[in-house]
Amino acid sequence: MRLKTPREKRILYTKTTVRWILYYLLIIVFFTIMTSGTYTKPMLLVPAAICIAIGNDVMAAAVTGAVCGFLTDMACGRLFGYNAVLLTVFCVAASLIFELYLRNKFANYLWITAIASFLQCWLDYKFYYQIWDYENVSRIFYHVSMKVWVYTVIASVVVYALYRLINRFLMPKEHLTIEEVIKTA
Amino acid sequence: MREFLKSTRFKVLLGFLAFLVGIMIYAVTKGGYSLSGASFVQTATKPFRYVSNGITMRFERITDRISHADAYYEENQQLKKQIGELNKQLTDYDDLKEEVEELRKLVVIKEQHPDEVFSQPAEVLGYITNDPFKGFTIDKGSIDGIKPYCPVITPEGVVGITIEVSATTSTVRTILSPDLSIAAVCSSTNTDFGIVEGTVLTAEKGTTKLTHLSPDHSLKTGDLIITSGNSGLFPKDMAIGTVRNTGFEANGLSACAEIEPCADITRLGSVFVILDFTGKKEDADAAKDTP
Repeated sequence: MRLKTPREKRILYTKTTVRWILYYLLIIVFFTIMTSGTYTKPMLLVPAAICIAIGNDVMAAAVTGAVCGFLTDMACGRLFGYNAVLLTVFCVAASLIFELYLRNKFANYLWITAIASFLQCWLDYKFYYQIWDYENVSRIFYHVSMKVWVYTVIASVVVYALYRLINRFLMPKEHLTIEEVIKTA
Repeated sequence: MREFLKSTRFKVLLGFLAFLVGIMIYAVTKGGYSLSGASFVQTATKPFRYVSNGITMRFERITDRISHADAYYEENQQLKKQIGELNKQLTDYDDLKEEVEELRKLVVIKEQHPDEVFSQPAEVLGYITNDPFKGFTIDKGSIDGIKPYCPVITPEGVVGITIEVSATTSTVRTILSPDLSIAAVCSSTNTDFGIVEGTVLTAEKGTTKLTHLSPDHSLKTGDLIITSGNSGLFPKDMAIGTVRNTGFEANGLSACAEIEPCADITRLGSVFVILDFTGKKEDADAAKDTP
């Protein structure tokens, strides 16, 4: 890759900073939505974390997963760190899968998010309800957990669109020299 | 001059003057009412004066606006500022009014339960996301004297118990949850004891369940269920809810009743935390209450 001029470096730095500020502003907005009202709501922070993870390196994905996880714990009244661990694992896995095997396409993001949010809902049900063997506990899985999962998958489309918009304007693009293009071809 | 004083004009003038004085004296005797002539003139000229006055006033206003524009601008700015201050005062007043209402409710509860120590009214910050048992967070924590396992109530009745307390917030487990059991008794009979404990099914309807009732109980729909206070987790005689219907447990050995909470658990605005009361047990295990 060719060396960047100081001006290009400055633009890259500014864009990256603004991009991450917007990422986290959206995360705060999603957290606020999740903690408002009494109705069943999508777990917006799960698709948000995945969305950030698939477009960035593993370390950034891990940190974002942890942050989103801690916020999810606070919103859902879960053991502090439980969802942080889960989302960190999901985000690192998503980041690696996209880096090594998958292209950054909406369909790939959707099914990865669907799997991650299903696992999150299922584990939440297992550890917080089924383990205590409440009477008719399976109703919680079908009436709450599955509902939340479906809502999350639907909401992930909007989340993707928002992050896509940010990336479109602020994600730095790789510039290749003519020699590099020829070499690659 | 002497000629003028002797002239007819002078005499006519004197006569006219006397006439005017006469009119004046007559007017005095009318006690405030206009003379008929004056009244006629007033009536006849009224429309003209109305139009004329309107035009003049408008003209004066225009000139006044032009000549005092700066003064009006200043006055306008001052008034805007004043309105802002008044709006702020109005907001403060609304807040105060709300606070007074809350404190008034607290006084009512305090009068009913004089031996209990209450927290300041605690606002519900939000419900726990997607919790089927409607747990919620309040804006008071350990710096307000709240500890884990403190009863949470509203003026209507028992709501739940604090389970996790931070410096400024606390998480509340509600009576819809199967993880909270409260020793209870029927207020009217005072003999039908049981345990109020939520279930998955009742939580879906926003109700809870009174279990371990004697099969020959005398509960009927509408009966008030109150805390029995045996365990030291909740004070005695606090309203929990009313009986919606009764039935038997699946094992057939004991009876149960569906209880509609007195407080609307799903729409709470503010609550009170009972910090201390007579017979309180400082034990976390007390969360599983027994009659």
